[in-house]
Amino acid sequence: MSQRDRETEGSAQPTQIDNETKAKPNSNFSGFNHYGDHKPLYGIRGIRKYWFKLWGGRPPGPLLLFLGILTAIIMGVPLLYVVVRSFSAGAERWMNILDERIPGLLWNTLSLTVMVTVFAVILGVSLAWIVHRTDLPFKKAWQWLLALPLVIPPYIGAAVYIIILGPVGWASEFWGEGGALEGWFGGYPIDIYSFGGVFFVLTLFTFPYVFLITMASLRKMNRNYEEVARSQGLTTSQIFWKVNVPFLRPAIGAGAILVALYVLADFGAIAILRYTTFTAAIYYQIGSFDNLSATVLSVILIAITLVVLWLEGKTRKKNAYYQTSNSYKEPEALRLGKWKIPAILYVFTVFFLSVLVPILVLIYWTYIGIGEGAIDSDFWEYTWNSIRVAGYAAVACMLLAIPVIYLKYRYPSPITSVIEKLSYSGYALPGVIVALAIIFIFNEHIPWLYNTHYLIAFAFVIRFLPQAMQSGEASLSLVSPRIDEAARSLGHPPWKVMFKVVLPSIRPGILAGGALVFVSAIKELPATLLLRPPGFDTLAVRIWYETNESFYHYAAPAALVIILISLIPLRFLLKKY
Amino acid sequence: MKRYSWLSAAFLSVAVIGAGCGQEDGEEAGSEGSAQVEGEEDGELVVYSARNETFVNQFLDKFEEETGIEVQALHADDTAVNRIQEEANNVQADVFISNDVGALEHLRLQGLLDGYEADNIESIDEDFRAEDDSWVALSARTRVLMYNEDLVNEEDVPDSIAELADPEYAGQFAVTRGANGSMIGHVSALRQEWGDDQTVEWLSEVGDNAGIITDGHGDIREAVGTGEVEFGLVNNYYYHQQLEEPQNNNVGVVYPDQGDDEMGAVLNAAGIGLINDGPNRENAETFMDWALEEENQQEFSYESLEVPINPDIEPVDDAASIDEYKTHDMPLRELGEVWDDTLEVIEESGMDLEVR
Repeated sequence: MSQRDRETEGSAQPTQIDNETKAKPNSNFSGFNHYGDHKPLYGIRGIRKYWFKLWGGRPPGPLLLFLGILTAIIMGVPLLYVVVRSFSAGAERWMNILDERIPGLLWNTLSLTVMVTVFAVILGVSLAWIVHRTDLPFKKAWQWLLALPLVIPPYIGAAVYIIILGPVGWASEFWGEGGALEGWFGGYPIDIYSFGGVFFVLTLFTFPYVFLITMASLRKMNRNYEEVARSQGLTTSQIFWKVNVPFLRPAIGAGAILVALYVLADFGAIAILRYTTFTAAIYYQIGSFDNLSATVLSVILIAITLVVLWLEGKTRKKNAYYQTSNSYKEPEALRLGKWKIPAILYVFTVFFLSVLVPILVLIYWTYIGIGEGAIDSDFWEYTWNSIRVAGYAAVACMLLAIPVIYLKYRYPSPITSVIEKLSYSGYALPGVIVALAIIFIFNEHIPWLYNTHYLIAFAFVIRFLPQAMQSGEASLSLVSPRIDEAARSLGHPPWKVMFKVVLPSIRPGILAGGALVFVSAIKELPATLLLRPPGFDTLAVRIWYETNESFYHYAAPAALVIILISLIPLRFLLKKY
Repeated sequence: MKRYSWLSAAFLSVAVIGAGCGQEDGEEAGSEGSAQVEGEEDGELVVYSARNETFVNQFLDKFEEETGIEVQALHADDTAVNRIQEEANNVQADVFISNDVGALEHLRLQGLLDGYEADNIESIDEDFRAEDDSWVALSARTRVLMYNEDLVNEEDVPDSIAELADPEYAGQFAVTRGANGSMIGHVSALRQEWGDDQTVEWLSEVGDNAGIITDGHGDIREAVGTGEVEFGLVNNYYYHQQLEEPQNNNVGVVYPDQGDDEMGAVLNAAGIGLINDGPNRENAETFMDWALEEENQQEFSYESLEVPINPDIEPVDDAASIDEYKTHDMPLRELGEVWDDTLEVIEESGMDLEVR
């Protein structure tokens, strides 16, 4: 999920490996250097020389390279296609959209993104700090309890809070029945269908990204800096701001960017709560106008995403803080003292709102739903459909990730980095845009696959391959290239090294990546909505439909199943950060 | 490493079972392809529907039961029209169930529907079917203002659509976003009555004035029923639906613009169209014939509590039949000709995507 977590994680190892990979070409392949130095080169020899230089003297096998390039093309083409198609929209349409549509959408999107990100960071960092650094009771349990909101997709969270706080919800019923409340304060005051509602729901279900990454960072934080600060007479709050926060800066950045990208790409929660951002607008455009306007909006959304990534990268470069790795000591837990009760209340409230409430509401409605016969053969068909497309995507992502990450770690070159960047493009690409591109490409050029459920899996692969890659990379970065070389020197051909040595050692990472892809895919909504063939509904689609029709007893069982399935790989998720 | 083996096994089994099923699907698709040559033997019908799923499910189930033809339905809301257009060179659907005659006629004008004289087609007045009978309207709806009787009296609800732009009603009512299928039809009628400039002005004023703008009408029905807003612009059957709710059903209805010199309430209809060059032509024709049987015409309109177009079929209880109030006199099929322009007008007003 985070492109950056491998950077924040295990900072000791990468430097070592970098040295190895850089040193290797010189030592092993210095023989290529005599190929006509200082002379202008012509023809095949020149190309060959250039080719070897490009790869630092050691090009990869053709099959490996082919697989890598193929993956990059599969991943990159949809993005390019949308951009190219947007130009055929014509200047007039562009101007029209820029004038009429953009200012409002821009304000909606940016204000929501900024607010959710800021508050998710505040929640995530404060909770991580309290849980990790104080003598809060049941610290170990809170560490994973507060990560649990991640398994609840925000659109399910939105549905739950509509049930509770909506105009027909339990709260308004209570308000009306109480009489006194209505008498004192007038009509029911909460409008869940508002900026506030969307902000509340998205913050509540995205803060764990920040929480988990901050937590991982705190675990590595050495005590000696704080001791120095304390010996200089700084108070706990001063230490927090002057010592802890600067060290947490990379983690906060990584978490914030995940949250921001999530908000930019989210469709379900935003549409259910009747708010309109770029992503929702693109969905509506695909629905009722024409796909060309949708491509124009998409290009602008992609640009915003790139700006977010760039801003984060830029602020990160300005500051560099280092941990000393020797003499690591775990910091002492701070005594909460009189703050104990407020701290417990705070942590519990967040947990209550983001986990307990949704689960309890869903169980309640599932119970009603079972009474009404919501779990019938259709229900199991939807479940099976969900598992099927998510399963295809997980398997495909695991297979596609291997060549790309292997190229990246063993054959670094400009070509590899292009392949890697393209493979990561889905990371910042909202599902609606991926779906739009797939509709274009398959309907016009590959009609025999169009309107089959494989396209849904295909969209998932584009969206979620980066997750499989990150997870695999984390494993591969721990396997020294020397092991490959040892196997090669014993006479194994490269493919055999791959299967007998490399794959077995990175298998846990690859499988964890597959599990993450599976869970993300089973929750995915907009691409599934746009790409599903006739007669093919998944659990996510049913939740969307039933919630919009206020048939909560039909939506709840499906939501519970998704949450239960998402729980399975939580172990990997916790370990990842 | 051993502890990961269950995970490998899980993925492997999904992949194997999934691939097995995939193959089945592939075979199905294959036989579907050959069926085009041999005639329908696999008994499938692909239906795209823009209507609310609950309105058509029972209807389609009945069709499946009685004919043995398996229905593959895509409930795509307003995306259905666009999808059919996109797929013009790669036709996927056999039949389109629309909640807007304008959309049907619009598709016909683009050559995407195909004429077919279904049995019993004469039971529907010529005004309510295509020139080439490629589409037939089966049930009518009228644009009305539904209000919450706990909050307002009938006199305080505007009796004209134009008044929705009046600041007096600011924040008190709900409308759908401009690109909603029924709204498009309504705007087309307004353009014909008022001209484009006034329509654009009205639309953007209504956009500012409305308390809630929703994607569909179901939300408005709920919002009026619960008193989230005082009244809302809906199709009349939403009023009848809300009356049937166990709670929050204290709602009333105003048929707007009924004065002698006024335009009358705007009418629209839902219907079915036969898609040109669909993969299961014979089944599509069976469907058209079947849908026009009186019993099924009734089924089509009753599930949504609309009024049947066929005058021989009794309307649902206490639904006003079309001749009981004044309606706008624009022939419905004209909606198709102005479809694209209307979208532009709505886009110009900025009311197209807005939801709040």
